[in-house]
Amino acid sequence: MHQQLTNLSDKELISRARKQKDREAEGVLMDRYSHLLVAVTLPHLNNNPNLDPNVVFPSLLQRLSASLKTQTIYKANEWILHIQKGYLGKPEKSTPFYPSRDGRDLLHIENTVDKAATNIIDREDLIVRLGQALQRLNADDNALITQFYLENKTFADLTATTGLSREKLRDQLKAAKGKLAKLFMNQGYVK
Amino acid sequence: MLSSKPNNEKVLKVFSPIRCLSKDQLPRYLEGRLTDVEKHLVEQHLTDCDLCFNALQALEQEGGTEKYQDLTNKLQRYVHESIQPVSHIQKVAQYTRKEKNKENLLVYFWLVAFIGMAIGSVYVLRGHLRNQPVVNKVMAAATPAKDSQQITVTPQQPIVTENHTPATTPTVTQKPAPPVTPAATAAVTKKADSLAIIKAAKAKALQKKAAADSIARKQYAIQKQDSLKKAAADKNKESEKKTDDTPVTKQVTKDQAPPEPVKKETAPVPVNSDEYLYKAAMVYQQQGNLSEAIDRYRRIESVSAGKYVEMARYQLAICYRSKGQMGKARRMFREVVRMDGSLKNAAQQALDSM
Repeated sequence: MHQQLTNLSDKELISRARKQKDREAEGVLMDRYSHLLVAVTLPHLNNNPNLDPNVVFPSLLQRLSASLKTQTIYKANEWILHIQKGYLGKPEKSTPFYPSRDGRDLLHIENTVDKAATNIIDREDLIVRLGQALQRLNADDNALITQFYLENKTFADLTATTGLSREKLRDQLKAAKGKLAKLFMNQGYVK
Repeated sequence: MLSSKPNNEKVLKVFSPIRCLSKDQLPRYLEGRLTDVEKHLVEQHLTDCDLCFNALQALEQEGGTEKYQDLTNKLQRYVHESIQPVSHIQKVAQYTRKEKNKENLLVYFWLVAFIGMAIGSVYVLRGHLRNQPVVNKVMAAATPAKDSQQITVTPQQPIVTENHTPATTPTVTQKPAPPVTPAATAAVTKKADSLAIIKAAKAKALQKKAAADSIARKQYAIQKQDSLKKAAADKNKESEKKTDDTPVTKQVTKDQAPPEPVKKETAPVPVNSDEYLYKAAMVYQQQGNLSEAIDRYRRIESVSAGKYVEMARYQLAICYRSKGQMGKARRMFREVVRMDGSLKNAAQQALDSM
């Protein structure tokens, strides 16, 4: 139905839904994340028989649509998870969504990496600085990131070598990435 | 160096954004049906994205993906259906409605603007009529007066000539006298008729305001005519008498005749001077020189006596009215009414219509 819209990024869709009051863009965004929303909500639906999917999902979508018009959204996935958790936790109260500082740092770096993809000089610079930040990271985190990202090892490989569970491994990876991002940003300020 | 370069490039992977898992990627990852590259990308994303990781965990816990697929399909259909009404047709309808509203607003705007303009123009026109065209009004007010003047002047001439001709020309016998008198009366009546026609035409042309004046004038003129007719009749009688006498005087002396008309001429002089003053003032009024006309009328009012004072006051009132000095005009009309003369009714009518 909306071939052009499905190819757009989340950011573009959100801005369209907001500025042009384009309900189609909003719908495409909801459609894009609907399966994740369903998957995330499934355990709640199974555990709580009072919840009716015919009521839960429409009201969830309504809440998402309402907050889409007012909130600052950096990452659609984080925002959707926040709203979903808020709805299932305290249905009567809608807590506003504030992206964390770390989240914004991460987003900033992601954007710079994205931009540098087309500029060789920027890219070289970025690679050098990221390498420096990686050198400063502690040995465990450095090893984890190097194995996971640079040596293309899967979760299964890493859990096998480290003996950690997949959740813990993921948390560690995430934390290491956060630290790396922080180091990179501080480096940027020093520079 | 060479080997380290791609390694270095890979550092960027740490922070390269990857899209969330798609609808069928999720079960495929669970079932391990992904290629290595795809799997690596998914896992890279999973470290960042809480939503996808939570979804994955939830699906793993719940086991069967049937419910997931079913609910997802339903939700997507719901989303599609809720969007559908706002699709292209709806948008076109909305657009046309908007345009229609705009057009309606424009129509209302122009309607209001035209109404406003019409009201404004009427207002301006009224103001213009009230203040500007002094000449027209004066003309309207003065034209009947002119007629009356003509009446006052013209019938006198035959009388005077009648008086003169028999006196100055002693050769004239009884014969010419009788035909002259009917001719004079005929002329008077004829003039009266023509005047009546003219007056009727003018009365039609006059405006509502001037109507009262014209009626007054007519009445006045008719009254005057009557009086003049009477005077003419008297004078005719006199002239008849004179013509009766003329043979006698002829017989007695030829020089006795001139003194008689001299006497007669000197007698109407005071009346005539007022009349001329009044006429002159009228001329000023007709020309639109209202202040001069007012001055003249004032002089007449202060100097002369009798009906000319009343007429002058009446004309003064008209002048004031056409000048827009309603208070003074009203006062003058009231004075005319108080004088209780022949113009009382006309003045009263003018007062009422003011």
